[in-house]
Amino acid sequence: MIIQLLRFIYSLLNNSFKVLLLLPEENTGIVGWGSYVPRWRITLKEIVETWGFNPEQPKELRVVEKSVAGVDEDAVTMAWEAARNALARAGVNPKEIGAVWFGTESKPYAVKPSATIIAEALGITPNAMATDWEFACRAASEALRTSIGVVASGLIKYALVIGSDTAQANPGDVLELTASSAATALVIGRREEAAAYFEASASYVTDTPDFWRRDNSRYPLHGEAFTGEPAYFKHIIGAVKALFAKTGLKPSDFDYAVFHQPNGTFPIRVAEILGFTKEKVIPGLVTPLIGNSYNSSALIGLSKILDQAAPGQRILLAPFGSGAGSDAFSIVVTDKVMEKRDKAPKVEDYLNRKQLISYALYAKYRRLINRID
Amino acid sequence: MRISIPPSWRTRIYRYRLTATKCKKCGRAAYPPSNICRYCGSKEVEFIDLIDEKARLITWTIIYSAMEGFEEKRPVVLGILETINTKARVMAPLTDTTPEELRVGLMMEPVLRRIINEGGHGLIHYGVSYRPLLKSTS
Repeated sequence: MIIQLLRFIYSLLNNSFKVLLLLPEENTGIVGWGSYVPRWRITLKEIVETWGFNPEQPKELRVVEKSVAGVDEDAVTMAWEAARNALARAGVNPKEIGAVWFGTESKPYAVKPSATIIAEALGITPNAMATDWEFACRAASEALRTSIGVVASGLIKYALVIGSDTAQANPGDVLELTASSAATALVIGRREEAAAYFEASASYVTDTPDFWRRDNSRYPLHGEAFTGEPAYFKHIIGAVKALFAKTGLKPSDFDYAVFHQPNGTFPIRVAEILGFTKEKVIPGLVTPLIGNSYNSSALIGLSKILDQAAPGQRILLAPFGSGAGSDAFSIVVTDKVMEKRDKAPKVEDYLNRKQLISYALYAKYRRLINRID
Repeated sequence: MRISIPPSWRTRIYRYRLTATKCKKCGRAAYPPSNICRYCGSKEVEFIDLIDEKARLITWTIIYSAMEGFEEKRPVVLGILETINTKARVMAPLTDTTPEELRVGLMMEPVLRRIINEGGHGLIHYGVSYRPLLKSTS
């Protein structure tokens, strides 16, 4: 009798009230996704020859070219196009977007929100939240985790989360070899409409000074090798292990793994440490072709995977930001991915659209040359 | 180069979304928008956005003596385009291209770009430029 009663209570909870047993993440998903990469590219060989770097350096970084935003582009204009692609796939009325959260470390204004420009241009204003997030390369990632919470709670119906950067680097600094430009946007909404839903997420942050830029500095400084072990690796591993502990998932449960990709070697190495095969990382590895697009770095990898993944496949997403922190998300692709996929240009379309430019033109486009204006 | 804030702010929607007017009487579209149809004089016009429409390049000019504030964009390429469905004529900067790639009839699409940058301390005025279709420059 007691067992029957317990069974009844269990089945009641597990079926009729299943929604109550889910993690908040499981009620939400990616309703639309989209990316943008500028047309212009510079080869690392060109930068190496200009500054006299070791000619083997591009090989060690496993990066061939990096994308360069044009003279009339910035983090806002790139975000606009990525967001348009995400909205096209989402197929939602812009007025239903309740938050525009813009993650960047290259915002055009130090004071004045960029998110409002994007929201206005996309027809989302005025009844929405709109703000810029700052956490080096991880700002959009924390915005993503927060958006899951506010959508799951019912506070808003959809959130538009964007990671966009025209990454800065001191000319002649090793960082210049990879700091590039791109943007990725995600529309987060209810699971029922999603191309991929969230299963669970976890974060890992500490005070680690591996990379920074002060108020009046034009370019960031960094701790060279210190950006690796105690920063990138420790935080990504910390976040992913926290996700595993929370869910019981293991590397073999995932079909794809996307990590922050500052170069072509770190994501492969962190995957190996965590027990993922290289084959699960390579489909989302974009940095060898366009460099490190900071807030879009891991997200563009996710975007590329959503362009090709099959329903039912599971994706690990683990962005990283200096300072330092990482988030890990378990994401499961749904049937809806197929009907949404062709509604906007794919990452591959942008990767194929490229025109090489000289160091001089790159320097002009990225305003590395000081003029009096 | 400083642009007065109020007119820039008032026209931001037109610039961001290519808002035009379409005459309810003669059916012709006009950009920038006007409360009176510039073709038939009717006051019955509706506002439409052209931002989702592709356009065909009709003509263009290459400006080598760029005015103050546009030096970094030199040569400035300005085009006149006709939108495919509404047949509105739009004058706008051309971007993501080089003068050698341009030809009459080239299909282009609108994108949001920095139109005027008031140096390192002033405002950035965004608006629409046209670029060759994404896949045509692959």
